[in-house]
Amino acid sequence: MSDQDLVVETVRDILAGHEPFVLTPERPWDAGLWATLAEAGLTGVGLPEEAGGSGGELADAVAVVRTLAAGAAAVPVAEQLLVAGPALVAHGLELPPVEEPLTVAVADMVTAAPSDDGDGPGRFTLGGAATDLAWAGVARHVAVLARGPEAVDGSVLALVDASALEATSAANLAGEPRGSLVLDQVPATGALLTDAQAGEVKARYALARAVQLAAACEQVLAWTVAYAGEREQFGRPLGRFQAIQMELAEMAGEVTAVSALVDAAVQTLERGEDAVLAAAAAKVRAGAAVEVVARLAHQVHGAIGFTQEHRLHHLTRRLWSWRDEAGSELTWSRVLGAGLLADGADDLWPALTRVV
Amino acid sequence: MNSSLTLAPAPPSEAAEEVRAQVREFLAAELAAGTFTTHVDTWLSGVDPAFSRKLGERGWLGMTWPKEYGGHERSAMERYAVTEELLAAGAPVAAHWIADRQSGPNLLRYGTEAQRRAILPRIAAGECFFVIGMSEPDSGSDLASIRTRARRDDGGDWVVNGAKVWTSNAHHAHYAIVLVRSGPPGEGPRGKHQGLTQLLVDLSLPGVTVNPIRILDGGHHFNEVVFDDVVVPGDMLLGEEGAGWHQVTAELAFERSGPERFLSTYPLLAEFARRAADSGDAAQLATLGRVSARLLALRQLSLRIAAALDRGELPDIPAALVKDVGTTFEADLVDEVRRVVEVPVSLDSPDPLGRALAEAQLHAPGYTLRGGTNEILRGIVARGLGLR
Repeated sequence: MSDQDLVVETVRDILAGHEPFVLTPERPWDAGLWATLAEAGLTGVGLPEEAGGSGGELADAVAVVRTLAAGAAAVPVAEQLLVAGPALVAHGLELPPVEEPLTVAVADMVTAAPSDDGDGPGRFTLGGAATDLAWAGVARHVAVLARGPEAVDGSVLALVDASALEATSAANLAGEPRGSLVLDQVPATGALLTDAQAGEVKARYALARAVQLAAACEQVLAWTVAYAGEREQFGRPLGRFQAIQMELAEMAGEVTAVSALVDAAVQTLERGEDAVLAAAAAKVRAGAAVEVVARLAHQVHGAIGFTQEHRLHHLTRRLWSWRDEAGSELTWSRVLGAGLLADGADDLWPALTRVV
Repeated sequence: MNSSLTLAPAPPSEAAEEVRAQVREFLAAELAAGTFTTHVDTWLSGVDPAFSRKLGERGWLGMTWPKEYGGHERSAMERYAVTEELLAAGAPVAAHWIADRQSGPNLLRYGTEAQRRAILPRIAAGECFFVIGMSEPDSGSDLASIRTRARRDDGGDWVVNGAKVWTSNAHHAHYAIVLVRSGPPGEGPRGKHQGLTQLLVDLSLPGVTVNPIRILDGGHHFNEVVFDDVVVPGDMLLGEEGAGWHQVTAELAFERSGPERFLSTYPLLAEFARRAADSGDAAQLATLGRVSARLLALRQLSLRIAAALDRGELPDIPAALVKDVGTTFEADLVDEVRRVVEVPVSLDSPDPLGRALAEAQLHAPGYTLRGGTNEILRGIVARGLGLR
């Protein structure tokens, strides 16, 4: 059994005791599940032990995120393990205790000004609003990617303690908290990032959502195939009808394509290569599959899948949300299109063969 | 995820990258010398025996076969890189394509020693071309319903009567591997899979007539091949008498698994990229990114199949899935481009993008039909999902 298989099995065992539920402003996340994951050391997977993490590779962290995404787990693992945590570590910033939920804000509306508040170098004052913030009001810590000081090209990555800040209440289509956080001259420790480095953080965020999309697509396909095998009409299971088989095969084609590209993009990142275009491609491809996968899953499930009683919505509503988050298909297809032409219009093919 | 659909990721191959660079250099030189011009769907329409021989000289045909049969004992990943580069350049590869892709591997698997020694080195040299003898006027998707018959005469030779259609480039080819009914079908729904046999037929034999069938753009690639009391020597039986269905299924795995199932219209994408670069138009760049993401995913799936072939597997279900998704992409490309570019679409257009669109559009109905319709492929995928 590989390390990842072991991780997956552990997460699945934990998930078995935590059914997904309808998220509301009163109960916006699964605090109990988070506590269990933290106790098992799973909220620090892939983050170095010397920084306070649990150690392990990127592939282990991806396995955790995949499994939890397939289980519609309402916890900020993707943000913590794949984006905010690695970014803080990479730029020499302190990693908060991994038992405390950490999220990431790509905040073009927040400006970081250098400050001399007596706490040494790397101190900034943040001002502005971090909007559409994943797990706003839930995450204790926020890694804010803010606009850098005027006169300096680039961005600032700063760690903000959000426990004393008030988040507005807003949710994505799945009910996951996506409110805003107003930063009114908040002091924070941070690091200056070049545009390329800031681009890498954004790409990691996109790839994290792509990983979640791939896992959720796979699970939705599995649920739909299982349902088509159980549900009988006209005296036989739905899956015996050719029309349904065509729909399920179309879903399978989309899901398989998404997973292959997302896996390849993760491996590109693992090898330490420039993964911005790989992440862009993965996010675009995964996002584009959602329309087909969610539509056909609901079509095959029939009316019961359109209710909160049935489990399907826990993942289809997340699919519809995640495809737009961390940059939509439009955002990343522009990045990919322009990036592929960077070496000249006649070199599209060599550029394509280098992406993943 | 369902294991019969999903293959392990392909490990990186340095050897493949090496040969890729060599092919790229070769193609750039050939293009510069004007020995070919880029077109869409050249693995159907680009017949150039001299070009095929050049590939043979460089060791890029029969790449994975044993050296004793003229092959080069290289990996499927290396062969993948070569075929992909040729397709991306829109190079004229149609003459040898079928022989190199499936007839050769079929001979290697089921042929007699004498058949292999006589034919495989010539395929690898780019001197011997094949056509597929499967479909008939009344047998398309229902392949087992074929009516071309073969009976043994007193001397042990086969006498073949019937007709095969959509035989790409039969007017340039030397041999056909013909699926014939040689015996009665068995009982039950799968009974008609019995009594089928594959024969290796020399197309210069008396009684073979090749009639052209023109496709939508007027091109002559397809043919009807009629067999009128054609006497095929007894030693040209391929594999086992009565095992034709099993053999044809294996052959189809090779037929369906390659990058030509998503790169037929790549030259259109390359031309569109030039337009997007010139204009800098945001919608065009977004389209370029969106379709490129689809292509990159297909490429990963296709690479996984090459890696599975290297492991000795014959991944027929994943191949069906990739062909379904891939050919849909090839055809979609026309409208993806049309939505963001205004250009007169004509085979006579002075604008290379207009010509590429015209070629891609007029060939488009074929992508999702040839080698198994997408409906048949989805049926295979559904079987992989455990639904039938």
